[in-house]
Amino acid sequence: MEEGLKGEFSSAGGRSFSKILIANRGEIALRVIRACREMGLASVAVFSEADRASLHVQMADEAVPIGPSPATDSYLNMESIIQAARRTGAEAIHPGYGFLAENAEFCRLCEREGIVFIGPNSAALELVGDKVRARKAMEKAGVPIIPGMMSILRSPSEFKEEARRLGYPVIVKASAGGGGKGMRVVQNEKDLEPAVEAGRREAKSAFGDESVYLEKYIEEPRHVEFQVLADRHGRMVHLFERECSIQRRHQKLVEESPSPALDLELRTRMGAAALKVMSAAGYSNAGTVEFLLDRDCRFYFLEVNARLQVEHPVTEFVTGVDLVRQQILVAAGEPLAFRQEDLCQRGHALECRIYAEDAAQGFLPSPGKILFLKEPRGPGVRLDSGIFAGWDVPVFYDPILAKLIVWAENRDLACRRMAAALQEYVILGIHTTIEYLRDVVRHPEFLAGRLHTGFLGKNFEGWGEASKDEAATRLALAAAAFDDTIRSARPAGLLSGEAASDPPTPWQQLGRWRMGGRGSHGI
Amino acid sequence: MEFEFLIDGVRRTIVLEPKGDMFTVRDGDFLLEAGIQRVSEHELLFRVGGRPEMVYLARDGKRRFISAGGRSFAVMEPSREAGRFAEGEEKSPEGIVSIKAPMPGKVIKVNVAEGQDVRKNQSLVIVEAMKMENEIRSAAEGVVKRIHVSAGELVDSEKTLIELESKT
Repeated sequence: MEEGLKGEFSSAGGRSFSKILIANRGEIALRVIRACREMGLASVAVFSEADRASLHVQMADEAVPIGPSPATDSYLNMESIIQAARRTGAEAIHPGYGFLAENAEFCRLCEREGIVFIGPNSAALELVGDKVRARKAMEKAGVPIIPGMMSILRSPSEFKEEARRLGYPVIVKASAGGGGKGMRVVQNEKDLEPAVEAGRREAKSAFGDESVYLEKYIEEPRHVEFQVLADRHGRMVHLFERECSIQRRHQKLVEESPSPALDLELRTRMGAAALKVMSAAGYSNAGTVEFLLDRDCRFYFLEVNARLQVEHPVTEFVTGVDLVRQQILVAAGEPLAFRQEDLCQRGHALECRIYAEDAAQGFLPSPGKILFLKEPRGPGVRLDSGIFAGWDVPVFYDPILAKLIVWAENRDLACRRMAAALQEYVILGIHTTIEYLRDVVRHPEFLAGRLHTGFLGKNFEGWGEASKDEAATRLALAAAAFDDTIRSARPAGLLSGEAASDPPTPWQQLGRWRMGGRGSHGI
Repeated sequence: MEFEFLIDGVRRTIVLEPKGDMFTVRDGDFLLEAGIQRVSEHELLFRVGGRPEMVYLARDGKRRFISAGGRSFAVMEPSREAGRFAEGEEKSPEGIVSIKAPMPGKVIKVNVAEGQDVRKNQSLVIVEAMKMENEIRSAAEGVVKRIHVSAGELVDSEKTLIELESKT
C-alpha cells in the first residue's frame, strides 16, 4: 500500500498525504473513497445519526460520527469535521459537492489547521463563491455576463427598482449557492417579494448565507458548462463542455458531453473564455465555468462552481481523465501531467440523476425504505450509487440517490443505451425519477438534440397522467393477485420471519375477493 | 378468483384462475394466458406467449410496490373510503377536507389563518423535505376550519396539516 502511494506522487510535488477525510455522504463520498483506495490512500468517512449504516460508512477505512441528523448539526458542522480530521490524522479533506464544498470559511479553517482542502484556495473560492463579486470580476476580464445586480440589496423597494430596470422576467439567485437552491423565476412585480423571501430562506438553510440577487432571466437558453483543471504551477486546461439543459426547478436531471449545440469554432471560443474566467479568479484544482447559451448562440458567463460537479462522470467518460484522482494530485502539489493538446472528446456520454422524488406528483420528495433494488449492467454503463436494499433514505438531505452514466460511440447510441439501462433499473419502496428519465431520453425533441432549460416544463407537464400504461397496469394487477394466491397457499411459517407480518390471506378476508369472478358477486 | 385492488389510488378488479400449469388473467373483456413463476422473494417471471416479462414486487405494511413493464405502481387493499379523493386529502361527510402532509418534513411556514377563505390552488403550507421547499396547495375553494401545525414543526407523512370546510 505504501509503495503504491509513493508511486502516485512525484518527488517534485509539494506535500503528499496518506489519509483523506471525506466531508460528505452518499454517492459522492463513495466516489472519493474509491479514488483513495485506488491511489493507496486511506479514507475517513464522517456520518450523521441518520447515516450510521449508510454505504459510505460501510466502504471507508475509518468512520467518525459528527453529530445529529440535520445537516447544520453534522455535515455543515465545521468544528466537528475538523476535529474528526485531527483525531484520525487525516492530512487532507475532500468536500465533495454541496455542504461545505464551496464554503470559504471552511477552506480557511483547513488552511489554518494545516489540513489540505482538496479544492481551490480560499481566496479564489471566496471570489467565485460570491456570485456578485465574481460577476464584476468577469465583466472586467472581458467575459460576457448576464445583465443583473452588481451588489447585494436588502430592502424590497431596492429589489423592485432593480427588477424594473432589468425588465421582467427576472430570476432570484442565492449569492452563495448553486444546485437551484434559493432560485426563483419571477414574472411580475407582485410575485417578487415572496420569491425573494423564499429564496433567502432556502439559501440560508442550504448554505448558511441568505444573500440573494437578481438577474435578467434569459428564456429558453441552453446550459453549457466547461470543466477546468488547474494545477498550482500555473498550468490550466479545460476538459471540454457538458450540456445540462434538462433541468427542473433549476436542478439538473440529465447531462451530456459533448453538447449537440457546439461546433468546433464555438467550443474553442467558449473553452478559451472558461480559461480566462479561471485565470482571472486565480483558480486551482477542478472547477466548472457555467454559461448560458441563447438561441442565437451568444454565451454569457453564469457562475463558477468551485468544486467537483455532480455531473463530472460524463467528462471522465469522453476524456478518459479521472477527475477525482486529478483533484487529489493537484492538491498534493503535483503538476498536471497533460496539456490542452493532449485532450480530446471521444464518443458521447449521458448522465441521468436518480432522485428520491415522485415525478408523477410534482416531484415531491420521497424518503423511505428501499425494499428492493436491481441495478443496470452492461458495456458502457456506470452507476455511481449511494444506496442499498434495506436502507432508509433520510429526509434530511438532498434527494439524490444515484447517477446512471452511459458512454457510446455517438449521441444516438448513448440515448438508446441510457433508455435500456433505465429500463433495467428497479427501485421499490420509494418513488424515483427512473421512469420519468426514461421517457425524457426517448423523447423525439431530446433525441434531436433540441434542448433548452425550459424543455421539461414545455414537454413534460402533466407527465404523470400521460405515462399511464394499461398493459403494465394489468401485469401489475396480475402479479398482485398471484402474490396473494401464493401467500394464501403457503403453509404458515414457511418463509421464516415473514409469516408474522403477513397480512391475512384472501381465504380469511372474504371482503376482498369473490370466488368465481365477475359472475358471482353474492358471496 | 376475482381480486380487488387499489392501484395508484384507482379501484380495479382482476380475475386470476389456474389452468393446468398456466394461469388465465381476465380484466373485463381482456383475456390472456400466462405462465407465472416466482423467481425470488421479489421477482416474478411471467411468460405470455413466447414473451418473458419480469415483475418485481415488495411489501411495506399495507402497501405493495410493484414494477411491471417498466412502470411502477403502489398497490393497496381496497378500503371503503380510499380512492374517492386524491392522495393527501380526505373528505368527511360534513364537507371537511383534511389536507395532509404528502411526505415527512418540516413545516417552514403556514400561509393561511383559521377562518380565512381560500381559493383553489392557493398555497396553504410550506413543508421542507430533502432540502427543498414544497408548497401544499388547496385542492378546492373553502374556508380554513383548523390549522393543526405551526412553523418549525416536524411532521410525518399523512399528518393532517389543515382542515378546510369545502364550499362545493
